[in-house]
Amino acid sequence: MRAPGGNRFRPVEDEATGSGGGTDGLDQGSREPIATGRLAPGTPSDPVGAADRLRAETSRRIVDALAGAPSPGAVADVYVGWVAARDAATCPARYRGEGEHGWGFPGWSPPLAGGACGRAALAHHIAQADRAGRPPTLPMPLDAIRAWMRALRTRDGAAEGRTPPVERSGVGDWICEVWDAGDSATLAAVAAVAGRWLAGFVRVLGWPLPPRLTLVNAPGPAAVSSLWWRPGKASPVTVACGADARLGRVTGAGGFALVVHRVATGDDGALWDRAAFEAAAGALAIGVVPGSVLLTGGDTGERVTIPVDDDLLALGADRIVAVVAERVVAVERGFDPADATPSGACRHCDHLADCPPGQAWMRVAERWRSGLPVL
Amino acid sequence: MVEGLGAVLAEPPRPPSPDGIAALRTELDDAARAACAVGGWSQDEPLRLSKHLVTGLLRCPRRALSDDQGAGDDVIVGWVVDAAAKLATVSPRRHVTVDAAVAFLTALGDSTVADHLADLGPAAERLTSDAAPRIDRLAPSLAGVDAGWWPRVEDPVRVVLAGGAVTVAGRIDVLLGGPPTGRPGVIVEVKGGRWHDGMRADGHLYALMVALRDGEVPASAVTIVSDGTTHVEHIRPALLQHAAERLDEAMRGAARLAAGEPPAMLPGAHCGHCPVRPDCPAGRAWRPAAEAAGSPP
Repeated sequence: MRAPGGNRFRPVEDEATGSGGGTDGLDQGSREPIATGRLAPGTPSDPVGAADRLRAETSRRIVDALAGAPSPGAVADVYVGWVAARDAATCPARYRGEGEHGWGFPGWSPPLAGGACGRAALAHHIAQADRAGRPPTLPMPLDAIRAWMRALRTRDGAAEGRTPPVERSGVGDWICEVWDAGDSATLAAVAAVAGRWLAGFVRVLGWPLPPRLTLVNAPGPAAVSSLWWRPGKASPVTVACGADARLGRVTGAGGFALVVHRVATGDDGALWDRAAFEAAAGALAIGVVPGSVLLTGGDTGERVTIPVDDDLLALGADRIVAVVAERVVAVERGFDPADATPSGACRHCDHLADCPPGQAWMRVAERWRSGLPVL
Repeated sequence: MVEGLGAVLAEPPRPPSPDGIAALRTELDDAARAACAVGGWSQDEPLRLSKHLVTGLLRCPRRALSDDQGAGDDVIVGWVVDAAAKLATVSPRRHVTVDAAVAFLTALGDSTVADHLADLGPAAERLTSDAAPRIDRLAPSLAGVDAGWWPRVEDPVRVVLAGGAVTVAGRIDVLLGGPPTGRPGVIVEVKGGRWHDGMRADGHLYALMVALRDGEVPASAVTIVSDGTTHVEHIRPALLQHAAERLDEAMRGAARLAAGEPPAMLPGAHCGHCPVRPDCPAGRAWRPAAEAAGSPP
């Protein structure tokens, strides 16, 4: 059993364990132009070879982890994204206890769709300008969201030349369903959260967007649709990179950056975990190790560049493999307080009643709120 | 639009120079480090300030440290009105209803209001009929803002001080303009109750935080209140300095409390709505001067 944190102050909720040194000394809040194409010190000298080795080593470790399952096929459809990596690292016991419902995609909702819709709308805005042969104008967030939604609805009329076609996407299909259902409250909520994402992304990165910036995980010709990797054709594991954009072209020399935009930031220590996960997932998906990960914060306005080196990749690979390992353990042992790791997440944990470490942590944490004693 | 906000957007004032922002950040960072030396906060165990906590620490530390008592009916009505204003901002609809505002909140993942109203059953009618005219007074002021102002709701802003040992975070009800729009920033705070002068401080604090985040000082802070009041305040360097001084004082007070000093009980008009008043001798003894003649709520 891990010792309860015993923090007298309530830790950050919804953030991974802090394993790094914060942002001291990093390019924080820089207003300097965003550079691309530079190789930071410590970047693997052979980005393609390093990605190949990462793929081979991660595949081997995943296979080893899956071999621990009680029977072949006992573990199915393991989706390894940042949220799963964070959850498994933060409290393995709680992650295992989530079960199939918690591990799977919960379905689209406005809070969950903000980034996807914001990216899709921005990609649509840029694609429209590209088609017209002119540079894109500064997008008006709400107008851009509405234009994308309208284009989704009229994509069948594209052949008649009425509207530029909008490529299909899972979130786009959901928007169409919501529209067909006449759910104006959900559409308005999507406009609010997606507009917030788009505004923050453009504000922090600047307009015009940096040269050679390509949106990723977005549909359409102005973006890269998705970044994911599977260790083998028959593997149940999918590793998904959650980057929002890429800065620079992907070449064998590496040097490009992955951009991860966070509408609201939390614990600075989690920056390292996030950068590590996205660097490793991106390298696995692209086949070339990125030179750096640029993390932006919509609420702070900061831009933090974290160079990708071997240590960061190793940490990211550990986070990925840990998800698979916990899923294997979960086949026979779901929630178990033996390896519970208390944190602010205990406040919302369904297993708190069965978790002595969590209860002990809460007894301390409940006496403090926001760093102040509670009377 | 209500004349106040409409007039600001039609002819926005020139915002103050950003030259003083760096010095303000340095001052606040020094103050935060001094407070941490007393309060013991660190990046792992930080002090997390919000506008409510800053105001609470300055107004009455006893109340600020009291546990949350849950949302009462008046708070629920305030949330409905607040949601309606945001819905009016992001939706092209002409008329926002109570039901639409509640559905909007639920779609955003917050079912507190819907659950509260459902629990009340038929008695919820009293709340919704209270909220409806407030919405009618307030929502039109935010509908139809030109898209070039980049209207966005609940815009998050966070200031990190003392290496992360102190954070000040908030969500601006409605933010208009600011970089990269080429237009000056305009902060809009929506209040569901009745106007009182203490509401100005929220706009000042958010102006300071946005200036620190964006590197540009907003031009105006507009408080739109559901009693029909619209308070427009153009941001001046002195207001930013004042907001920074309040934040400094709040950090000092928080540090003393974290170090174990008993919280002061500072009675005032806020006692009327204080949930811990029954346990507070000073609060129980407090009576409004001249029996609330013209006093704020």
